[in-house]
Amino acid sequence: MAVDAPARTTVARIASCALWGLEAALVTVEVDVANGLPHFSVVGLPDTAISEARERVRAAIRNSGFEFPLRRVVANLAPAERKKEGSGFDLAIALGVLRATGQLAADVPSLCLGELALDGGVRAVRGVMPRVRGALGRGVTAVVCAEENAPEAAAAGAHAVGVRTLREAVAHLSGQAVRPPAAIPPPAAMPRASVDLADISGHETPKRALEIAAAGGHSLLMVGPPGTGKTLLARALPGILPPLDPDEAVVASAIHSVAGLVDPARPLLEARPFRAPHHTASHLALVGGGSPPRPGEVSLAHAGALFLDELPEFSRHVLDTLREPLEEGSITLSRAAAAATYPARVTLIAAMNPCPCGHAGDPAAPCTCLPDAIERYHARLSGPLMDRIDLRTHVPRLAYDDLRREGRESSHVVRERVVAARERMRRRMSGACRRTNAEMTVAEIRAHSRLDEDGEKLMSEAMRSRRLSARGVHRALRVARTIADLAERERVSAEDLAFALLLRGAA
Amino acid sequence: MIELARDDPRYPPSLRGLATAPERIWIDGDPTALDATAVSIVGTRRMTGYGERVARELAMACAAGGVVVVSGFAQGIDSAAHRGALDGGGRTVAVLGESIATFVATLSGRRRALLPRVRASGALLSEFAAPFTPKPWTFAQRNATIAALGNVTVVVEAGDRSGALITAEDARRIGRRVLAVPGPLGSVASVGTNALIAQGLATALVSADQLLRAVGSCASRRQTGADPDPVLLALRDGPLGFDEIAVRSRVTRDVLRSRLATLLVRGSVVPLGDGRFRRTA
Repeated sequence: MAVDAPARTTVARIASCALWGLEAALVTVEVDVANGLPHFSVVGLPDTAISEARERVRAAIRNSGFEFPLRRVVANLAPAERKKEGSGFDLAIALGVLRATGQLAADVPSLCLGELALDGGVRAVRGVMPRVRGALGRGVTAVVCAEENAPEAAAAGAHAVGVRTLREAVAHLSGQAVRPPAAIPPPAAMPRASVDLADISGHETPKRALEIAAAGGHSLLMVGPPGTGKTLLARALPGILPPLDPDEAVVASAIHSVAGLVDPARPLLEARPFRAPHHTASHLALVGGGSPPRPGEVSLAHAGALFLDELPEFSRHVLDTLREPLEEGSITLSRAAAAATYPARVTLIAAMNPCPCGHAGDPAAPCTCLPDAIERYHARLSGPLMDRIDLRTHVPRLAYDDLRREGRESSHVVRERVVAARERMRRRMSGACRRTNAEMTVAEIRAHSRLDEDGEKLMSEAMRSRRLSARGVHRALRVARTIADLAERERVSAEDLAFALLLRGAA
Repeated sequence: MIELARDDPRYPPSLRGLATAPERIWIDGDPTALDATAVSIVGTRRMTGYGERVARELAMACAAGGVVVVSGFAQGIDSAAHRGALDGGGRTVAVLGESIATFVATLSGRRRALLPRVRASGALLSEFAAPFTPKPWTFAQRNATIAALGNVTVVVEAGDRSGALITAEDARRIGRRVLAVPGPLGSVASVGTNALIAQGLATALVSADQLLRAVGSCASRRQTGADPDPVLLALRDGPLGFDEIAVRSRVTRDVLRSRLATLLVRGSVVPLGDGRFRRTA
């Protein structure tokens, strides 16, 4: 198709989408082709990747058998005041050039997302799911994107068409070879747990603590000598967490999409995430960051669990940055260009040795640490973070007899109790936001954590003795509520409260 | 702070007779604590829960009997002995391996809280002028002073090459009785004390009464009867986690939860923050 210089140039408009955090903003790619010296520029606060799009777009158009106009071409990403990043605008810019030069005969009603290869291929980009979700709320229904990204777009609810090349995109949009929409990927299946609780012998109280943490979203710290099963217990947690609700799955999957961690074929997360960052992780890796801000481990664990093994080995500064997400259930990353907010409602599971050598209180191997060294080891943990730990449990080395004695319960049975307890929480705390007992406000604790007579007696004794702070009381009552929920009790009994006080293990 | 020369009438008589008596000593606190009947309680820094309990019980018995507890303010057994004496309402003297000023300036950790208590009820003693910092040989030298200040010397726990064995040797050389607390065979922290007993270099110390008799104190003795509470009994030899308490006390977990929570609320048991619980007395 030859390009005759028409007397009047047209401005092409193609819809695309920018992302900041999980927040999507519709971007209109306007392309104007005017008479003048051959020139191609992209304006509208593009980052380096977008500016480089010029070379990719030029080559992709030529190598797809189209003609790049030897005229003055300007692509504008509107609204222009917003900073944009990434290579996802390539497809929209190329289609805009083709539309403006008449090589694409029809207007483009779809949202276009994709990076171009020099040979005209369309490559997948990150963050398709949150972008499509955001665009759907603004009147867009159809999406054209890379074939790999199509299931993600379909999962978000769009009429998603995947294309392999720019030519296929043009053929589809012009009506010459309309492609069928991608199928909605299969829904969440039952999670496959890597460790079953029945495989772990003994450790009755640590297992109970794990169950309480799973049901109520309480944070748990396990302390014990190396090799006693702390990590194994933590790995058993995914097997007893309740299934992911559809709305939680979409948000959690969107975060993974932004981080580029989704499986293209099954973009919707199946199970609650379980993230276990290594203790050398930086605070950027843990809470997210960079410009534009990417989600960190605490957001990737949203709606699931974050496991920090060898807690004192994490840098103190890194642990301190966890305070905000644990308190707020979200993390706001402020950068010069803008601030991004990622959700971060996680169940924190931590494990540590009791002392630097790991053997304090271990009858099998004597501890070789000096008392002051043990003290320094514990002082490495930030006070405010330790304040947020609801459950502490000792994981001792077990004698062979202990390993054989205890009855074993499978994860499947425990999970049923956890699901039932969550259901009770949901009925009690009706509201748009799904919450667990760990997130009860003080008013809700008063309303829902009613104590029976003996419980009141124990609580008043605890208050009188001044061995519990007001915050400690509220934390213990939240845990006690979960223990009662697991036992299907309406009222919190004295035993529930006693267990909560023991598991809290701090003032 | 008082500085005493060897010819000062206030110079402790127990030190004066020694050939190796320091030329000058510095005292921060009450100098009369140095003239009373005293027991030196020493041991390893790497103590076990058993050693901590024994050091504490012996020091408390001394306090009840009006006997001053002398030790070296190191981590481990030394601190447990000082703490026991103070908690029992008695007096205690800490002999330092450096000058008092440098010790006070650099002390950190749990022992920091002990410092004003030792000063208020007893004394800090040093044979080194400020600003003398510790050297390996200064501890050996102060061990001789500790041995001299006590009428008898008790070694609670000592490993193979513990400095507490030097104190025992010093005490023997100047004719003070040495008592050693026997420990479990196989326990690294009791190798030295068991060897002292086996070689006849020390008498086995098996009760607080025996210690008080050894120093000739006949004052009221603390009753160290059996603990009626199985939970507290299980916690005698150091902190334990919930499941361990359940196994040792043979109390069912349901009963133990309420029982332990009550003890926690009453302050008889404190949580260590790592899921374990410790007895307070």
